[in-house]
Amino acid sequence: MKALKRSSLTDIIGLGLIFGVAIFSLILLVAPSIIVLIISFDTRAYVSFPPEGFTLRWYGEVFQKSELVESMLNSLQVGLTVTVLCILLGVPTALACVRGRFRGTTALSVFVLVPHMVPGIVLGVAVLFAGALVGVSPSIWLQSVAITVFILAVMVRTVQSRLMRLDPALEEAAANLRATPFQSLRTVTFPLLMPAILAGSVFTFVEGIDNLSVAIFTHGFRDRPLPVELLALVQYTSTPLVAAVSGVQIVLAIVALIAVSLTIGLDNVND
Amino acid sequence: MMQNAADNAATLSQAAPVLRIGAVDKYFGATQVLQNCTLDVGDGEIVTLLGPSGCGKTTLLRCIAGFWDADAGRIEIDGQDMTPVPVNRRPVGVVFQSYALFPHLTVARNVGYALRMRGTPASEIEARVTEALRTVSLEGFESRYPAQLSGGQQQRVAIARVLVMQPRVLLLDEPFNALDAKLRSTMQVELRQLIKQLGITSIFVTHDQEEALTMSDRIAVMRGGRIEQAATPDEIFDRPVSSYVADFVGTSNFWDAQAEAGQVTLPDGQSVETGLSGKVRVMSRPHNLRLAPEEQGPWRGVVLFQRHIGPLIEYHVEMPDGATIKVAAIRQDRVRPVRDRAAVSIGIIDSAQVSVFAD
Ligand SMILES: Nc1ncnc2c1ncn2[C@@H]1O[C@H](COP(=O)(O)OP(=O)(O)OP(=O)(O)O)[C@@H](O)[C@H]1O
Ligand SMILES: [Mg+2]
Repeated sequence: MKALKRSSLTDIIGLGLIFGVAIFSLILLVAPSIIVLIISFDTRAYVSFPPEGFTLRWYGEVFQKSELVESMLNSLQVGLTVTVLCILLGVPTALACVRGRFRGTTALSVFVLVPHMVPGIVLGVAVLFAGALVGVSPSIWLQSVAITVFILAVMVRTVQSRLMRLDPALEEAAANLRATPFQSLRTVTFPLLMPAILAGSVFTFVEGIDNLSVAIFTHGFRDRPLPVELLALVQYTSTPLVAAVSGVQIVLAIVALIAVSLTIGLDNVND
Repeated sequence: MMQNAADNAATLSQAAPVLRIGAVDKYFGATQVLQNCTLDVGDGEIVTLLGPSGCGKTTLLRCIAGFWDADAGRIEIDGQDMTPVPVNRRPVGVVFQSYALFPHLTVARNVGYALRMRGTPASEIEARVTEALRTVSLEGFESRYPAQLSGGQQQRVAIARVLVMQPRVLLLDEPFNALDAKLRSTMQVELRQLIKQLGITSIFVTHDQEEALTMSDRIAVMRGGRIEQAATPDEIFDRPVSSYVADFVGTSNFWDAQAEAGQVTLPDGQSVETGLSGKVRVMSRPHNLRLAPEEQGPWRGVVLFQRHIGPLIEYHVEMPDGATIKVAAIRQDRVRPVRDRAAVSIGIIDSAQVSVFAD
């Protein structure tokens, strides 16, 4: 009886600890975003906390500054390009790594990881020099390619882990049921990989609009992406305008997540 | 019943076989997994591949379906060599152990899959799906997803899904594994009736001897990648070609003996003819033995315990050398109850039913 009581007491303490840590992590994760959002509505023309009023003025300014709007459109284009490239390159790579019948499938799946392990700055510089070597100057396309190289591993890994958990008998059943290899891919493999491809797309898209370290060396001089523009902005502006730009980004990320949860459900993201 | 099965086997062996497996070898790296596998399966016949885990049953099935290539030998269907024919053009339907139903497709779309891949007109697909689902008694389940079905229903979808393409040969790899014991025995009988009624040539894999005896016209007992014996259930049971087969199918008693001048003397004094000489192994089924009072015979032992199996009683008799001999009797035939620890002698009822093996 006594032992039981003691164990239930430690249980309560343990649960309390876990709960506490969870709440703390949650606060740690969302607090900065919430503070940025709150500041973005402040009436004062300098960044300070807590705010003293409410205004939409800074959001208005964001969309009046043509260089900010342009950089947002640039980043949107980079995000979409990176995602499309990652799907086109990543899905076949994952298929080759898991289903490939050639030597070196393991080597391939490690090789894909390498650019992701290199610091973004190093990769950015490397792509810049490599581009110069073959006569390609920095541009929105070079930036997209560089970020694709950087983030491809995430798409490959997401699709690969889903693929490894697919029953290989499903594809064999398709072949037995008269499907050609292409038909089997189209009617069985791809539909079952869709949740993983969508989840991977969210990651690659967010990286595309969000990446600074690779982008700063590879972007076109007239096509600045949002993070680079933002970096320039904070150097000579101290108004909540910067916070409003971040606010727009946060809203974009939330919209992307909601879109995913509505289409495939968040539970499937890791499946 | 026995007569019937023999007739059946005779007519089957006269017609040209639908499936011919000729001297098939298969290696994984340096290990040989199939060794000279040879088997003919007649039109409408159900043949079971029976053997312990790892003996190569699935491997042979996968070679027939075309998922793997044999390293030597030939597989023919209706006289046509299957070697150059890819998986999706073999007239073969596979029911997978896991059923492998497409989780993202409804029952109707699962069943219609093969027809869609072949470009069958939509109206015909619908009619044939309906018919296939009726065959397996699953009308009304068309719009369900596999996850919304019980194990038995999933199995029937898997069967309907291959039946719809009217395969020449049906391959089933342990299709009852995922079912509980009770459902398993009813599904065994139902599936056999269905296959027989449709007349589809089938190969069925199991490592459960009772399942093999229930399902098959013939059983091919496999051992380490070879087919040790392929025969009717009766023949496998009554005339096993090796002690391995005898041991694998049914309960058996073995003892060592000496063969001289074409004769083996049995422990109860009778003798049986054999073509072998020297050291042999003798086998008798428990129901070919009977107990008698000790003084009536020379083959003596002590009853260890008795087990009641339905209408049968199985006596475990301990012999002086420490071996245990199993004797089965029908409850009604018993003259008087035999007590445990009773000293008894064992007699062989029909010496012609005793098997003599070289090993
Ligand atoms: N892909 C493979 N690579 C290498 N060896 C394999 C492979 N598949 C099977 N084997 C080996 O081949 C042998 C036969 O395997 P198989 O799957 O045919 O056995 P089985 O009779 O179906 O057994 P079970 O009753 O357990 O299903 C086994 O020893 C197994 O280890
Ligand atoms: Mg197997």
